[in-house]
Amino acid sequence: MTEALPRSAIEPRNPLLNASRSSNLPHVPGIRVGDYIFLSGMAPIDPRTGERNHGPIAEQVRTTLSNMQHMLESAGSSLERVVRVHVVLADISQMADMDRVYREFFPVDPPARTAWSMQLRFGNGCEIECVALAG
Amino acid sequence: MSAAREIIPPPGPTPNGERSAGHLASMAVRGGDFLFVSGLAAVDLQSGERIRGTTASETRHILTNLKQLLEAAGSSLDKVVKVNVLLHSMLEAPNMNEVYARFFPDSPPARTVCGACLPHGVKVIIECTALR
Repeated sequence: MTEALPRSAIEPRNPLLNASRSSNLPHVPGIRVGDYIFLSGMAPIDPRTGERNHGPIAEQVRTTLSNMQHMLESAGSSLERVVRVHVVLADISQMADMDRVYREFFPVDPPARTAWSMQLRFGNGCEIECVALAG
Repeated sequence: MSAAREIIPPPGPTPNGERSAGHLASMAVRGGDFLFVSGLAAVDLQSGERIRGTTASETRHILTNLKQLLEAAGSSLDKVVKVNVLLHSMLEAPNMNEVYARFFPDSPPARTVCGACLPHGVKVIIECTALR
């Protein structure tokens, strides 16, 4: 009865933002399946250089969310179509700084969100993942 | 054709016509056939005040609110497919489990429990994805 849903990897238009490929990591930036897009945890990568941006947390969050916007738009979706976000910080005391930038990206009808803190790789100050509706 | 996205208003008093502008997160969002519920901390849904308690009592408050929230959205606890529980200390997992099990007596959903640093001195955060 059920046909297999088409499942395809998402490619950012800017190849420098394909962090898993440039770091040879065993994952893709995201998967589209049926009506949904599942993005991998995204780190603050400078879209001009592909290097990690380890500036102040506000800047790291802005870079990460702006890259997330790019990733979703590359897949024909957008920030307005995001339904769930996970925000992970390396330092819980930076929650208020993160929130200040976060709300600029989701000013109205924001997605469901959970935010917490735990150890992150590569000295990143934040990692953000989401589920969005396709197109 | 693309799936519909709808903000689910939180149960309890909401000022007339208030949109979720200025809020950091919606308590729940429907996307297609699923409801995505934000990580909930123990709050009084009437006043919005934080309730500070033990891991067990915060778990009970959260799951009571979650039940109400899901039912107000036309779903229910038995339609939950996945739960993520964040605890301020994994040593508290048995205390959370004891309360948790009472809310999901039969065929409980998939679940992950993780110890993490939580904001504002919160002891427990629970989020879920449910069928609408």
